[in-house]
Amino acid sequence: MSPPRPRPRQPLAQRMIDALRRRPLDAAAALAVLIMAAWIAPGLMRWAIIDATWTGETKAACTEGGACWAIVTSRWRQVLAGFYPKDHLWRVAAAALVLLAGVAPLLRRRTSGLALATAPAAVLLAYGVMEGAGVLPRAPTDYWGGFFLNLFIGLGASIFALPLGIALALGRTSRLPVVKGLCVAFIEVIRGSPLIVLLFAAAVVAPLFTPAGMTLDKLTRAMIVIILFEAAYMAEAVRGGLAGVPAGQVEAARALGLDRWRTLVFVVLPQALRIATPALVNSFIGLFKDTTLIYVIGVLDITGVLRNAVTDFAWQGLETEAYVFVAAVFWVFCFGLSRWSASLERRLSIPGKSA
Amino acid sequence: MSNADCAMVAIRGLNKWYGDHHVLRGVDLDVAAGERVVVLGPSGSGKSTLIRCINGLEAYEEGELDIAGVGRLAGAKAVEQSRRLTGMVFQGFNLFPHLTILENCVLAPVQVAKRDPNVVREEAMALLAKVRISDQAHKYPAQLSGGQQQRAAIARALAMQPKVMLFDEPTSALDPEMVGEVLDVMTALAASGMTMVVVTHEMGFAREVADRVVFMDAGEIVEIAPPAAFFDAPRQTRARDFVRRVR
Repeated sequence: MSPPRPRPRQPLAQRMIDALRRRPLDAAAALAVLIMAAWIAPGLMRWAIIDATWTGETKAACTEGGACWAIVTSRWRQVLAGFYPKDHLWRVAAAALVLLAGVAPLLRRRTSGLALATAPAAVLLAYGVMEGAGVLPRAPTDYWGGFFLNLFIGLGASIFALPLGIALALGRTSRLPVVKGLCVAFIEVIRGSPLIVLLFAAAVVAPLFTPAGMTLDKLTRAMIVIILFEAAYMAEAVRGGLAGVPAGQVEAARALGLDRWRTLVFVVLPQALRIATPALVNSFIGLFKDTTLIYVIGVLDITGVLRNAVTDFAWQGLETEAYVFVAAVFWVFCFGLSRWSASLERRLSIPGKSA
Repeated sequence: MSNADCAMVAIRGLNKWYGDHHVLRGVDLDVAAGERVVVLGPSGSGKSTLIRCINGLEAYEEGELDIAGVGRLAGAKAVEQSRRLTGMVFQGFNLFPHLTILENCVLAPVQVAKRDPNVVREEAMALLAKVRISDQAHKYPAQLSGGQQQRAAIARALAMQPKVMLFDEPTSALDPEMVGEVLDVMTALAASGMTMVVVTHEMGFAREVADRVVFMDAGEIVEIAPPAAFFDAPRQTRARDFVRRVR
């Protein structure tokens, strides 16, 4: 047997030159990107950082010619938590932590059934901490706002939407024509309607039809609409996952004597949800950005707070700063999510399987 | 004792259609306790369909099918019971990829038979030792070779303590060098007295292990004979043609 020999290697610079020579289109694209970056970056840096003004009480403080971030920093409390009572901001922080702690166990390699129950409980607990009861003075949802609201709606709605989405996906594959028909109709109607229209309906139209005496506050109504909306999208993601589980898996489970329910819980869903993870995260990112539409029901999320700010005489005309800031915040969160999702996919992947 | 009393599997007048295609045409077959039956036949002859009917993976339109007497129960209960009494080994292994080999073996005994997980785990380890892959118990199916996966699948089926083991072309999806290790496990299982119905193209296995060979063609049983008689002197023309082609 001939002894193994180390693979021959060229120096890095030589390898790069070779690679570019082999792919002239890539080389051209790389060059174009570099030129663009060199062209845009200095101006952007100067505007956003070097010449920017970071603090101030009105836009008059912004004299450097760069971005006027004072519009954000002067009202950071609203940006984070809306008009929530100043002395109770710890409740907002606590609620955010409870939410994140509730979601975390869902994302382990082997999600236990318990996590599916604790996550909704965490949302309700966060709601309780914010809303207040007993020892905590009440702070109705009218006071909620800022980026917390985006987080609360995005995470909270997704947590409730996932089980509903799974149920809808299963319903869609049901052999019972009525169940199947209802699920298909629900999914297609919801997916065919813009979220903003549904939110408007929840805010304005729904109260006209609810029986007298029954009132739900507008945030709860919006939450329900968003849960249903997200469930329809998640159902399609889960359906894709279900279709990816080979028929032999069900046969093997049935042959071992597992009934329909146990086959689903122990064999089909663990595989289907794993396949559906990228699509589910994708739909969550979409929903998270869509939480900015909540302004139609008259609550001020992070976008709303800043949109309000630019109508204030003291800050008039700073739309660019306001929207660039919102875009940056969402970009950081969504980019973080997609990186995290990639690592989740790696952790969820089954050892020995390439896919 | 009459034949019907000691039959582990009793099939009477079984007819099945896929749409309008008549795939099983009046199949009668008794398999005695401890007997090893190998089902041979050209592809499309209904061999796989027959054993899939035995454990209820396929429904049939006419006839009776009875495993250890439970077929006399009616309907869904009977299907459930017959599944508990039969172990099935598939051509494509069909191990659960998200569970380790040990977990694959433990799932059904704990979840279906409601047995003590600790006892089941010990038994499963013993079974994995028997199929000589106890060192792979904590790996995932995709980390094993095809031969190892099929042996794990056999252990998983045995963990439910079935009375009859059904094999649906267990070596057809394997690389040639792995066929032997799976056949060895099956041969050992046969020697331990397990009732077995095996659909296979492995003529050597049929000749050495089978008590009887069942030859099927076009949805019917054409000939049933001891292997020596079947391979050396098939009585029916169709069987003769088949034997000549596979030899």
